[in-house]
Amino acid sequence: MSEALKQSLDISMFWEYRAVFLEGLTFNCLVFLCSAVVALSVGLGAALLRINRLWPMRWIGTLHVEVFRNAPDYIMLVWVHFVLPLLIGILIRRRVEFHPFLSAVLALGLVYSGYFAETFRAGIQAIPQGNLDAGRAFGMSERLILWRIALPQVVRRMLPEALNLFVSMFKATTIVSLIAVPDLMYNVSMVIQQEMRPLPLYSGAALTYFLIILLLSSGVRLFSERWRRKILA
Amino acid sequence: MGNWERLVWNQRDVLLAGLGVTVEVCAIAFIVAIIGGLALCLVRIYVAPLRPVAVLLIEFFRDTPIFVQLMWVAYVWPEIFGFPSTFFNAGWLALALQSSAYLAETFRAGIEAVPRGQREAAFSAGMSQAQTFTRIVLPQVTLATAPSIVNQFTVIVKSSTLISVITVPDLMSQSQKLVNVWYEPIEILTATAGIYIVFVFLISSAGKLLADRLLRRYGLNAS
Repeated sequence: MSEALKQSLDISMFWEYRAVFLEGLTFNCLVFLCSAVVALSVGLGAALLRINRLWPMRWIGTLHVEVFRNAPDYIMLVWVHFVLPLLIGILIRRRVEFHPFLSAVLALGLVYSGYFAETFRAGIQAIPQGNLDAGRAFGMSERLILWRIALPQVVRRMLPEALNLFVSMFKATTIVSLIAVPDLMYNVSMVIQQEMRPLPLYSGAALTYFLIILLLSSGVRLFSERWRRKILA
Repeated sequence: MGNWERLVWNQRDVLLAGLGVTVEVCAIAFIVAIIGGLALCLVRIYVAPLRPVAVLLIEFFRDTPIFVQLMWVAYVWPEIFGFPSTFFNAGWLALALQSSAYLAETFRAGIEAVPRGQREAAFSAGMSQAQTFTRIVLPQVTLATAPSIVNQFTVIVKSSTLISVITVPDLMSQSQKLVNVWYEPIEILTATAGIYIVFVFLISSAGKLLADRLLRRYGLNAS
């Protein structure tokens, strides 16, 4: 047992492959960045639908939020990768295949758009009605009111919550290895297949992710506390 | 429509067997997570010498992605600690570890929200520390954290899809087996996604209902 413990604590094998793993980590970051863009833009769209005057619009927004907030991200990943291209293929009568990277970005982006939509909505609804009325009284268009009056306040209010969501999203990027996006976890399992030594490699991967996410989440915690004191005081 | 009948309805036994395993794993993980979370949180607050250990454990399990943890528990733990001996046990154990860390923080917030004056009142009424905890603190914490605890169950269900990767025959795994047999993913995977979405939706709706009830009956702010 102590031999196994020593082996697992000996991260030198993990260190040997650092170049491959660093490359994998950049894929984690890439997937994260792209799906964050998707999540933010789709989330804002869904939030605007949810507060629309017309009930069918509201209904679509609510459906979007409920479906994606309640869907496990792994099944969404698999669904987007294997089912969505077939459905599109049937529509345009041509064979379609998604690159794993595209599927990963779409799936994570969609799942988290549900969470972001609720954050956006809460932020928008917290804006005093008087602000919007004042904007209208000045003859601003609805779009201008959204960009100049609503969104700046929404962003200030939702920033701590959004940062927490981003941290969860970064954690979720580890599952993209399951559809063969060459991220850190994927490279780790590839090396394990060659070296047949899961002990130090999985431990190294766990430790790496732990350190990165610990750094991120403590940064977020510190920032949020200050931000809340400054903005919402 | 014929495809739906052939691929989903006629295969319902396979899918239901998978759903059964999913429910089983999640239920075990949930119960273990509540016990483990309470233990971690009590150690963190009341057992000063062990506090750094509890903090480290909580931070480690909170800040490691569940997939990484699952692989780690499934492939590394058996060689270091000699358990879990099966992938089924590794599955619920990994889910329970992560959730117990989240729940520990939930419980801590709940305990720290109990006004200090109440504890002092209990002390001056001659209650022991254990009595104060079980009679004054725990009932309030249970009520205040009940919605978050239900929410954590939905997180467990969502993460449980990953145990299919370590070959536990849960719903996700069964549906992927069906896809590999029939090569027709559209109906099977859509139905599986639908089952998961409805399942999680039902749990979280129950949680919201519970939160509203508690709020109305006890005037508690469920956060």
